[in-house]
Amino acid sequence: MIEAFRVGAVCRNGTLWDGLDLAFGDGEAWAVTGPPGSGKTVLLRILRGEQRPDAGDVVVGGRSLFRGGPAANREFRASSAVVPESFPPGAGRTVDDLFRLAAAASFHIPASERKEREEELLALVGLPGAQRWDLSSLSISERARVSLAAELFRGPGYLFADMLLLNAGREWADMLRALFRALAREGKTIVLAERSIPEGWKGPEDGRGLARGPFLLYPVAGGGVGAR
Amino acid sequence: MSGLSLCFIDWKLAGKELFRETAGRFLLFFVLGTLFVAMLLSGGVNRFLSEQWAVTAILQMSVPAEGGRGIAAKAAGLPGVRRAVYKDPEAAWKEFIAAYPGLESLRSAGGNPLPGYVEIRMRPGRLTEKDIKAVEAALRPLPQVDKLLSGGEALTRLLRVKDGINVGFRVLFGFLCVACFATLFLQEKARAASLAADFAFLGDRGTPRNRIAFSRALGAGLIGCLLALVSLGAAALALSSLVDRLPYLGGVIGPAEEVFAPGLLVPALLFLLSGTLLSAGASLMGWRAARPAGK
Repeated sequence: MIEAFRVGAVCRNGTLWDGLDLAFGDGEAWAVTGPPGSGKTVLLRILRGEQRPDAGDVVVGGRSLFRGGPAANREFRASSAVVPESFPPGAGRTVDDLFRLAAAASFHIPASERKEREEELLALVGLPGAQRWDLSSLSISERARVSLAAELFRGPGYLFADMLLLNAGREWADMLRALFRALAREGKTIVLAERSIPEGWKGPEDGRGLARGPFLLYPVAGGGVGAR
Repeated sequence: MSGLSLCFIDWKLAGKELFRETAGRFLLFFVLGTLFVAMLLSGGVNRFLSEQWAVTAILQMSVPAEGGRGIAAKAAGLPGVRRAVYKDPEAAWKEFIAAYPGLESLRSAGGNPLPGYVEIRMRPGRLTEKDIKAVEAALRPLPQVDKLLSGGEALTRLLRVKDGINVGFRVLFGFLCVACFATLFLQEKARAASLAADFAFLGDRGTPRNRIAFSRALGAGLIGCLLALVSLGAAALALSSLVDRLPYLGGVIGPAEEVFAPGLLVPALLFLLSGTLLSAGASLMGWRAARPAGK
């Protein structure tokens, strides 16, 4: 479980938000939405332990990411995956190279299994046989999918994705929702940062989501009982 | 991620570039190894000079061949002496006539006018004023020895020039080592910069940056050690083959069999250690280029 206690962030123009309390339980998937400049990416970075909040703390499994030693933070980052809004593709790098890098960041993947899992995951994100494709030749949506596949390849317990749905078509968005639900059923925690989510994701009730500071939180999978 | 896997992370991420770099490093190490072995065996110009230059002990006319051989044996037993050969008066006369043809008439008066002599050649590493004086001191008191010819003042100048040239060779070798290290450092720096995003990727996923840096250095050191071993072996083979084909080179470097003498084991190990440390050090220093912007 990821818990944020009274977290606050400050940017050049002033306070982004302050006193934010959030909780994302195991086996839950949440979409955090907010307008441009509201600090969604900053929130994801804080929740992932990449950026120290200007106030408050983040606790995962009872261990603080920022107030203890660096080990807890490192272990959490090793067990979590991040799909950034954009990543700079190295010149001449292929999809296979990205998976090789992901394998290098992982403890548990024997070399013999890498190719097989790589094929499976690329097929899962709708890009079968893309191993040899040059990363720089991919569209933004394809890059996001490849990045997601490479992160899932590491078998993370937590997944953070920034603007994954922004350029996704309806079909891909539906596929993603099914994927997140399946991951949540496996006990993984998923946090998405998006400007908005498809109407169909907002639930049958009023579809307004939970308001937390400048953000609206929508449960994507797992019942959404954990958000405070 | 396992430490061993991190050691060779650059090979996984930039295998082709690293292969080209490694080929270049092999050539660098080969050149250094060749110079290293050549300098070890030749001692700079020591071996060349020790072949060209000798202490000559001219014996009394009355000294029989047995006595001459005895003096040669005594000289050969001195620590700085590589070889001492007795030449009897007849051999001395033949050498004289070969050098100065047309003077055969000198013998017409009857008998050989030349005495026998002992030719003493110093070990390449002992061609010093002190060792030559020790040879002279050992032979001069002998009643059978008439004169000792060792070059006089010219010898002192010659030895000074020899020392200067040897220092020059060492400085040149040191300069090449520094140039080699600079090349390795620049290669490592460029590679670390080109892979910075990948290292940031690993860092963001919980791999400590220090661990990446030290593992890469360990990997670079291991590859450096292997390269040094292979290139030193190739250099030794090349030198041995050259000496076999070009005999005059043997007079400068030494005989081919000395290339693989057990005495070179410790210097060879030092060469491997240097190759390891140079490679690992260059990797660690180059790592700074992979530092993320703003950190």
